[in-house]
Amino acid sequence: MHAIRNINLCTKDCLCLYVCPTGATDTETGQIDASRCLDGCRICIDACPSHAISLIPAAFPAQQRKTDTVKKTLLSLAESKVKQEQIAAYIEKNTDNPVLKQLAQVLCISNQLMAEDLIRESGYMLPQSQNVQDFLKLLLDTDQPEGFPKEVVERLLAILNLENLDQTE
Amino acid sequence: MRKYTCSICGYVYDEAIGDPARGIAPGTKWEDVPEDWHCPLCGATKADFAEDKINNKSATPELSIVENEANSMSELSFGEVSALCSNLSKGCAKQYRLEEAELFNQLAEFYKAKSSIAGAGQLKDISTLGERDLASGYVQANLIAADASDRGALRALVWGEKVTRILNSILRRYEKQQDTLLENKHLYVCDICGFVYIGDKLPDICPVCKVPNEKITEIKRR
Repeated sequence: MHAIRNINLCTKDCLCLYVCPTGATDTETGQIDASRCLDGCRICIDACPSHAISLIPAAFPAQQRKTDTVKKTLLSLAESKVKQEQIAAYIEKNTDNPVLKQLAQVLCISNQLMAEDLIRESGYMLPQSQNVQDFLKLLLDTDQPEGFPKEVVERLLAILNLENLDQTE
Repeated sequence: MRKYTCSICGYVYDEAIGDPARGIAPGTKWEDVPEDWHCPLCGATKADFAEDKINNKSATPELSIVENEANSMSELSFGEVSALCSNLSKGCAKQYRLEEAELFNQLAEFYKAKSSIAGAGQLKDISTLGERDLASGYVQANLIAADASDRGALRALVWGEKVTRILNSILRRYEKQQDTLLENKHLYVCDICGFVYIGDKLPDICPVCKVPNEKITEIKRR
């Protein structure tokens, strides 16, 4: 479990620098150096006057179990949202009217967000989950369109710490 | 004093409070609110409002679940795979896993580019699909999610249904008013739920997902 800093909340009072026993909080990126952060230490979290630091667990519980009917009905709605997003993207690309272009762009963003949310709730909330691992493996094991970035998927499978998920259900 | 709720976004007009920002004094009766008044959040007309009645409990709809076609992961369209990957990218960014976020983002872009030929159509095709979602998709999904006591699914459905109503209301008004609908107005979209706002003064929090308005982004005309 290591600390992360929400840079939108950080007011640069720097008490985290004063209290950190390993110097993990003193970085040029605004983020805390996870490789130095002491597991579960939380001294910086208690010291921060802006409540900008929190702990990210190394392992997460599995997402709430999804029934097959819930998955199907959510994915069916997601499919419709993706279609609407694609039509909006087509309009945005092909119209010369700047007002219509603006409206189409908004429709595109909005429908994509709804599609993402529906898919997340059909069992793909956690990037470290078994479902996501199975999905990534399926991409590698089945035919993919030309230019498929195989190395991206392999890298993801290698670094997602998939084994760290608590899969007890 | 009575209250009236917007059927599109859920905004409540309270006669005791009125809408002073738009010249409607506290105590103004609903029937005295001008006909050209619009919902301050989503722009819906007066006709889209209904009075709140106590004990106005509607009959529980019968659970009739229509089986959708099986939709296993391998049958997802490129567009859906793209949305899955862009969502996972956000899931990584929330955990400050920036390399993973970027990799999922690359995958999302790849599948989005592969799906871009699928979308020829017009605004009315979008509103037709949105109407279908409201008339059947959300009705079915709400019943199924309630039956499974799936808290997260119900949450996503409530947000998505509200946003879909708002988008369709905007599309109906755009059909009538054309570009004048957006004349001298700013256009915003909520980064979290997709709520769309047309106007000059953003609400403090998103009326759909309740995120503070710093996460509601203006989309400028280009």
